[in-house]
Amino acid sequence: MKNIARELRAPVPVSESFDARVMDAVRSMPRYGRLGLWSRLTTPRRRTFTITPLTLGLIAAGIGVFALLGAAHAYVDVNRAAKPIVAALGSKKAEPAQRVQFVLVAPDAKKVAVVGDFNGWDSRHAQYQAQHRGGGVWSVTAPVPVGHHRYSFVVDDSVWVVDPSAPRLVDSDYGVANSALLVEHQQ
Amino acid sequence: MRALLVLALLAGVTPLRTLRAQDPRLAARLDKATLTAVSAVIDSARVAKLPTAPLVDKALEGAARGSESGRIVNAVHQLSARMATSRGVLGASASADEIKSAAAALDAGVGERDLARVHAACGKRPVTMSLAVLTDLIGRNVPIPTATNVVLQLARSSISDSELALFQRNVRADIDRGADPGVAATTRARGLVVRTTPASPKPAE
Amino acid sequence: MEVASSDAVIVARVLRGDVEAFRVLVDRYRDRYARFAFHMLGNREDAEEALQDAFTRAYRSLARCEDPERFGAWLFRILVNRCRTAGARRGRRQRTFVSDDMALLAAAHDHPADRTAWREEIERALTRLRPEQREAFLLKYVEDMGYDEMSQLTGVGVSALKMRVMRACDRLRELLSEVHSA
Repeated sequence: MKNIARELRAPVPVSESFDARVMDAVRSMPRYGRLGLWSRLTTPRRRTFTITPLTLGLIAAGIGVFALLGAAHAYVDVNRAAKPIVAALGSKKAEPAQRVQFVLVAPDAKKVAVVGDFNGWDSRHAQYQAQHRGGGVWSVTAPVPVGHHRYSFVVDDSVWVVDPSAPRLVDSDYGVANSALLVEHQQ
Repeated sequence: MRALLVLALLAGVTPLRTLRAQDPRLAARLDKATLTAVSAVIDSARVAKLPTAPLVDKALEGAARGSESGRIVNAVHQLSARMATSRGVLGASASADEIKSAAAALDAGVGERDLARVHAACGKRPVTMSLAVLTDLIGRNVPIPTATNVVLQLARSSISDSELALFQRNVRADIDRGADPGVAATTRARGLVVRTTPASPKPAE
Repeated sequence: MEVASSDAVIVARVLRGDVEAFRVLVDRYRDRYARFAFHMLGNREDAEEALQDAFTRAYRSLARCEDPERFGAWLFRILVNRCRTAGARRGRRQRTFVSDDMALLAAAHDHPADRTAWREEIERALTRLRPEQREAFLLKYVEDMGYDEMSQLTGVGVSALKMRVMRACDRLRELLSEVHSA
């Protein structure tokens, strides 16, 4: 059963448009909050309107060149903005992930989570919560994209602990150390 | 004509689309002023064709650690500068991982000249692992010149990344048992170079 | 020191009108719950539909989430129900087992061909379990839950859950040894 479970724990890729579809659906619903009613009233709705050929020509002629330059730059910007999100999330088709085991011995801990650049340093990320295996040993096996990463353990939601078994990265930006992880393609 | 109008509309709404394309995690975790400042650094890095994911991660890390706004902005800015330097040394074809690894090495105190030497020693192989090991040795108090020479020797011996990883674990174990960090690193490297070097040894550093 | 925004903080933001903050919750739970939905329903399309449905229902009823700190568990309960509904809607016909999905999984994890084949056999065997046994097996062995937690999630008693898990294991062993002896 352990072998079967291990196979079944492998990440399942989700289509790239999934988040966008959820957020589109959510945005189309009434917004919460005391401003909800106001925003419902003021949120622009899609409108269809007809432009006469003459108006079309005048508008297009007036701002056509500027539009071409602006659209090209913006198209590149939007796409480049998308790539860091894909890379950072690490769960899309762009970067395959390997399952990595993280282990920390922390006998007095009540909770241990793994945070790093593969999960936005989010100690609440469900997949990176360690389980207590007994004797103060905490572990979790979770997907990490192929590549070079920085990470740490967070104990009891407050204490950051480097991984004693991993290479160390000194960080002068925040004056702390993190652990380094290099995940390679599985042969 | 219709195409020009579409492009005109696109130009009009695109700045809004660009804003919405920002990583939403930054917006969720940073206050407005910090977000604006960090976004400006990220946008500049993007224009300079530097990888932006490490900058987003750096900001998220700062937010997660509860760092104050100025420190987060400064951290993102410093990382961007280090990545620019790294790319200058490694060349335009360097991968994001190589740039990240080199930026970490610069942060640990490795000079640009030594970075270039390690890059040259690796030849066509990625420099990521060599620099990760170098940074780790420095983090474990191996003097920077010693750590650099050790990594250079290993890189010139063309040892594999997995052998480098084993070397790093052995040095760590020796240091944990009380060995002098510099001695541990040079001793382990000597053993690895002897084992992997063919008949004619490389010139000593 | 608050390390990261907890679910409760994000939920509070959404309830104050910050709809974009909901994306943080989507990002947090998408991958793990997509895996469960995929194994329950057998193909990516149905799994994504059920998961998307769960997220939108969670958003719609967010004000009724009694313990926002445990938003994840609450969302999972919604997803389990969506998967039950989707499965029942299809009736007892064979689950669509899409080999394209397996190819995607294999490409995502760089598996050699024999490992992909083994994975396919496991997925096929899962489709042949009764839905309640499949659900109990996945919660126990893949989601690593304890029986008390499973009971709270599913509304089924602990003894019944243990029986379902046991039967699922027996059936899987039988099905997978059939494959190897064929």
